[in-house]
Amino acid sequence: MAYNCLMASVTSYYANAAAPVRADIIVQHERVLQHLATPGSWYSGAERLAIAKAAREARDCRLCQARKDALSPLSVQGEHDHDGDVPDIVIEAVHRIVTDQDRLGESWFQGLMGRGLTPGRYVEIVGVMAHTVSIDTFAQAMGLAPLPLPEPVAGGPSGYVPACATPGPGWVATIAKDNASGPEADIYAEMRGANIQRALTLVPDEKRSWFDLVGVQYLPQAWMRDFSQEFRAISHAQIEFLAARVSALNRCMY
Amino acid sequence: MVLLRASGEETGETYDLSAIHGDGSDGGGVAAGVELLAFADTLLANDDAALTRARENLRQVVGDEGLVDAAGVAATFNAIDRIADATGIPLDDRNAEISADFRAALGIDSYAAGRV
Repeated sequence: MAYNCLMASVTSYYANAAAPVRADIIVQHERVLQHLATPGSWYSGAERLAIAKAAREARDCRLCQARKDALSPLSVQGEHDHDGDVPDIVIEAVHRIVTDQDRLGESWFQGLMGRGLTPGRYVEIVGVMAHTVSIDTFAQAMGLAPLPLPEPVAGGPSGYVPACATPGPGWVATIAKDNASGPEADIYAEMRGANIQRALTLVPDEKRSWFDLVGVQYLPQAWMRDFSQEFRAISHAQIEFLAARVSALNRCMY
Repeated sequence: MVLLRASGEETGETYDLSAIHGDGSDGGGVAAGVELLAFADTLLANDDAALTRARENLRQVVGDEGLVDAAGVAATFNAIDRIADATGIPLDDRNAEISADFRAALGIDSYAAGRV
């Protein structure tokens, strides 16, 4: 019942978009809202929604703006603007990833770990942030304010740690395709297990959910290199040109 | 950009990858390239008035469905870039190898500087 109600509200919300939104995007965004509200591995539904809200508030944070303007972001001290529902260390992670992602370094990440954040919690924060930024960017692109967040789903986090995760290739442990086994045996499905596909695998459901969204908003893996036909209303070249510009603006190698 | 180049090689088209870093006046040989650049630029700049104009200009050349697809692509990469940067994920060996020339030529390797 809750799913159907949310689905109707997302459909209604997107009726005001600048152009008719594809049905599969509407379904995915409804699913993402449910995903954000559902207990994860390390955070409850209410905590995940608070992280999503923090991601939205980051743009208006005065400390983040001052750091963004500074030659060295960590030379600027102060407190982030937020409503107090989320621990300071989580706010620091969320706000900096949203507002200053092109200057994130491993020393900053290790500093968060030294202050008590765990790799699993951090990866879940990254996952929640990414889902939120993505659906919010889509809404903005279509001339809309961000979708309203739903009510949290009751229950606590699972504390699940995938046994097949190993260190690297970045700052956090991930599941290599060759190591994917047990409950994670299917985590890559048809994907080739590229590093970016590994990034969130320490919290497997974040990886699964994120790439379900990617497959609809961008392209599924099988279509990315199939240049024999076009799958969207814009061509492969147009898709990749736009993607490259966004990544260049974000100063990201991906 | 690896896939943009691969797309061109597959279809026989030549794209100017440097347009990715240009001022937006050169569409790089990609259909509707100028409009796609303006759409990305105004969206990430949070300039709603300019975005409204860029959106309409893009719609004129790619239609409603193309506009929605473009919004989905921008939404995906605006977030996946943050996943990559926040987890310290390096480029895969193969992609690093085949993109080495244009990463160096376009200054993309410099993105790694100044991370703290």
